[in-house]
Amino acid sequence: MTPWMLAEAGHAADAPFVARFESLGKSLPERRVTTRELMAGTRHHTKIDLERLTGIREHRMCGPGETSLSLAIGAARDCLGRSHYTGADLDMVISTSITHYVDGTTHRFEPPLSLSIKQAIGAPAATSFDLSNACAGMLTGVFLLNDMIRRGVIRRGMVVSGEQITGLGTNAAHNIRSILSLQLASLTLGDAGAAVIVERAPEGTPGIVLAGFTTLAEHSRLCLGMPAGHRPGARMFTRARKIHQVAMSEGPPLIEDILAQAGARLGEVDWLIPHQTSVRAIRSGERVLAEQLGEGPKHTVVTVDEYGNTASTTLFLALHRYLTEGRIHPGEKVLLLSVASGLEIGVVLFVMDELETTHGHPH
Amino acid sequence: MGTRIESAATSFRRGRLFGRGALHLTDAAARACLERAHHRADELDLLINAGIYKDRNTAEPALASIIQEDIGANLGGPVHMGHHGTFSFDVLNGACGVITAAQLIDGFVGHGSARLGMVVAADADPSPRTSRQFPFSPAGGAVLLAHIDGDGGFQRFELRTFPEHATLFETRLRWDPEAGFAHRGRNVLEVYEAPAFASCCVERAAEVVGATLATAGLTADDIDLVLASQYPRGFGTQVARRLGIPTDRVPEVRAELVAAHTAGPIAALEASIRSRRFAVARHSLFVTAGAGITIGVALYRN
Repeated sequence: MTPWMLAEAGHAADAPFVARFESLGKSLPERRVTTRELMAGTRHHTKIDLERLTGIREHRMCGPGETSLSLAIGAARDCLGRSHYTGADLDMVISTSITHYVDGTTHRFEPPLSLSIKQAIGAPAATSFDLSNACAGMLTGVFLLNDMIRRGVIRRGMVVSGEQITGLGTNAAHNIRSILSLQLASLTLGDAGAAVIVERAPEGTPGIVLAGFTTLAEHSRLCLGMPAGHRPGARMFTRARKIHQVAMSEGPPLIEDILAQAGARLGEVDWLIPHQTSVRAIRSGERVLAEQLGEGPKHTVVTVDEYGNTASTTLFLALHRYLTEGRIHPGEKVLLLSVASGLEIGVVLFVMDELETTHGHPH
Repeated sequence: MGTRIESAATSFRRGRLFGRGALHLTDAAARACLERAHHRADELDLLINAGIYKDRNTAEPALASIIQEDIGANLGGPVHMGHHGTFSFDVLNGACGVITAAQLIDGFVGHGSARLGMVVAADADPSPRTSRQFPFSPAGGAVLLAHIDGDGGFQRFELRTFPEHATLFETRLRWDPEAGFAHRGRNVLEVYEAPAFASCCVERAAEVVGATLATAGLTADDIDLVLASQYPRGFGTQVARRLGIPTDRVPEVRAELVAAHTAGPIAALEASIRSRRFAVARHSLFVTAGAGITIGVALYRN
């Protein structure tokens, strides 16, 4: 039966190869700002306890000279530092950030950021482009690399993103008056960069077992981000509750349907890494999944409490964190789950292998 | 197995009507494209938008998801619907975005993971009062790509960059504290184009096309159609001259689409479909050039 999502399984008759993750990298600004400090900066006096509502304690925030581009380059270099490859070995570089700041709040449309990133990491011959898919950007990039590696078009590529996105919160702080404000979600954001190398897996390696994506477009306008009218930077309007409701009603059957393509069940997943919007949303999603599918994953990863919602980088920042802490082990099944504006729902199911041993030990 | 072009359509502003931005242009082209091929929107598996200059410079969500909603392609999930969904996202690769998007769709459609995909692209000045030197005409395009069991369709894609020329064309949205009403400051879209940009695009494109043809075992004589970027103006004709391809193999687009940005190659494709030359062309060459400098090349065979 055809799945609802556009999907590709790891081992299949139409593709000679399987893809897997080879290396991960991150880059975080040094500056830390607590949610309490952020809320203290709102222009209007509010009684919103955002930390209690979201479970987010802290956010990283870019300092002078740090931008979307510098975070992306930092993460790409960190990723290569843990990889067997150099930049020159990469066949493709895809930059997937929502924000494209290259200097303060100056946003560059052309040339694409991927061009500057591949230059910075010594990958001039790699095919490069940017893509935009809200917070699902990095997973979309992995979905595309997986397709090209499976078919043998390329051997390896990098997906990278740098999100200098806390400026949305700075702008929102001028307008927020109550918990109903459409700009409240802007105060949950954090700055971060992440990068991942996807390569052709050695024969017999399970690697990426399944990758699938779909867009539930009747909800496309629930979260809109654009440059601010009378302030530097951008602003974002989010119907967070509605997005959560849609994700809770549409997500479970979609996930069940797509996992069935790989002959898998959610109960067999060792680690679910969902998009990190708030601790409360993740816990509620966990409960709904378990109720509707009759079983849940063995563990659910939460890092939003410490980093905030870092937009397109959340999944790989979380994976990086848990690998560094030695919590995910070889042979375990990991499900990456994107839920993003659009409304995008994407999944990548993979089996942990050497990434666990090479990670956290730069050459 | 491969990917063939089912139909193409373009859109542009009629008369002097303002307020018709990139979204309107893309929606119109997408609907016309589906209609021409007698396909329904909910048959689409994949929808990629390659436009760069969007209404209000919206950065989130991907414009493709809004277009998907507007044209009515599988709006809800399986809870409400029946068969399969549509996946949509944006590619940002300047003037070469349509080639990049076609390559990505070819990956899924050509190998049977998907049956039908559409590339859409449109650009319009996002805010004429606060943009400077915006050079592109407001234009949109859509091209529908379908799976075929034969060996025709797209044969080869090539995407090359020349970062040594990266400063020749650049567009930025920058905060200008002196701009706007009462000089209170605005985010201003600035376009910088060096005088050498156009000639450099032609030179590099000729180089990449020459290498691609050689790899494919073809010569300039084999190319029946050159479907090129419409900006820089005259780019397609000049590339053809450099390669020794007769310039009458470069279709002329209608006046409103001259200087179209990302939709440029679709405008050329549509013109060649209308004149019935595309249907009889054995080998068609897509060639695009933009900031980077990035050159996109695709070979298509009927």
